[in-house]
Amino acid sequence: MRSFVSSARLAGALSLVVWLTACASAPELDHSVTATLPQRQLLEDVPFHPQRDYQCGPATLAMVLNHAGVDVGVDQLIPEIYVPSRKGSFQPEMLAASRRHGRIPFTLAPRFASLLEEVDAGRAVVVLQNLSLPAFPLWHFAVVNGYDLDSEEVLLRTGVTRQDATDFGRFDATWQRSERWAFVALTPGELPVTISPDVAIQATSDFERVQGPEQSLPAWQALVDRFPEEAMGHFALANAYHATGQPQAAIDAWRSAVARDPSLAPAWLNLGLTLASQGDDEEAREALRRAASLDGPWQQSAREALNEQQGGHR
Amino acid sequence: MHVAITKDRTIPDTINKEAPMTSRLRRLLCTVLMLCLTLGAASAGAATSVPLASTNDVLASQQSQDARERIHQVLARDDVRQQLELQGVDPSEVEDRVAALSDAEAQHMADQLDQMPAGASVIGVLFAVFVILLVTDILGLTDVYPFTR
Repeated sequence: MRSFVSSARLAGALSLVVWLTACASAPELDHSVTATLPQRQLLEDVPFHPQRDYQCGPATLAMVLNHAGVDVGVDQLIPEIYVPSRKGSFQPEMLAASRRHGRIPFTLAPRFASLLEEVDAGRAVVVLQNLSLPAFPLWHFAVVNGYDLDSEEVLLRTGVTRQDATDFGRFDATWQRSERWAFVALTPGELPVTISPDVAIQATSDFERVQGPEQSLPAWQALVDRFPEEAMGHFALANAYHATGQPQAAIDAWRSAVARDPSLAPAWLNLGLTLASQGDDEEAREALRRAASLDGPWQQSAREALNEQQGGHR
Repeated sequence: MHVAITKDRTIPDTINKEAPMTSRLRRLLCTVLMLCLTLGAASAGAATSVPLASTNDVLASQQSQDARERIHQVLARDDVRQQLELQGVDPSEVEDRVAALSDAEAQHMADQLDQMPAGASVIGVLFAVFVILLVTDILGLTDVYPFTR
């Protein structure tokens, strides 16, 4: 029994060592990505704000927002994201504050290549690291503003260090503890190098909720350009056109949406309602009929709108 | 639908004052909100025009959210508001901070604020921890003490 316990202990200790060593190894880099990138990239023009006290969140956010053309200081950001009793800032509030300053926060796919691609495209990336071990966490926000594939180093503006270089292995060990959380804050109309349409659409919609359709219009246009086959992108663009007083552009975009996905009931509904308001009753009824024929949360509204339309013509 | 929800924003203040009543009030509030949502949808036909489907609502419905989940999200914002105030955030700032969160972020914060990492660069340094971290720093697993590099 005793030998069983001690061998179990030994196995436990060994697996811990194996696990720790696994963490320290350099991240697997996608060679199809790195082959297309320059060996070294450094964004010198990212301003530096050294953190004061525990306020790496506001300092980090100020650096990326400034770099994205927003005139905002650390002092203004402290009341927007700092949480006094936790002596720190939460990830969602970093994203929320970016929206308040007119930039769309896109959370990047948790892969090392995302950082390199964004830096190569000229964007500073916010990362969350746990510099310590999971048992005694030391959570820290920093800005990745460069990389060097030869020396295998990530270049950062971090803490009170203006230009830091951390080797890939150590950086990834600390970054993977946040599940490789990273985001860029982009001007509406820009998109990350690699992003899924669903993530981009949700991020833009979340921005629109805060900043409204006029600010979001360029973002929806960029989204439709990048993902022309995505019906939801056309739908959202149409809604933004409609909300900014451009019904004809909206009608065209809803038509593009239903051409891509004829089962997108809310697009038929909005198309029908807007055609009706433009006096195009025949086409309006046709669109509303399509909406009313599709199961889902918009069916009821479509039936009511159709009734109103047909009622008005009796 | 949205009007009904925003109108009820003031109700959770009562929840805050009477902690033991929270769950009962919450249940009541849920029922009221459920009714508002159902009636809201039904009464839309009585109005002269049917509202357009908003992008936000369509995305939410695509994530298969039923009415109950949507209500949960509305309540989540009030939870976050209260928790941030308890954590020392200036009450005059809380409203704007919560308003800028997405539905999913508000939900996430309401559910896990206690366990969420707060980027801070602060650590309680016990001697044993210091030694462990010194070793892991040298091994390249952590990045706590710059002098180890």
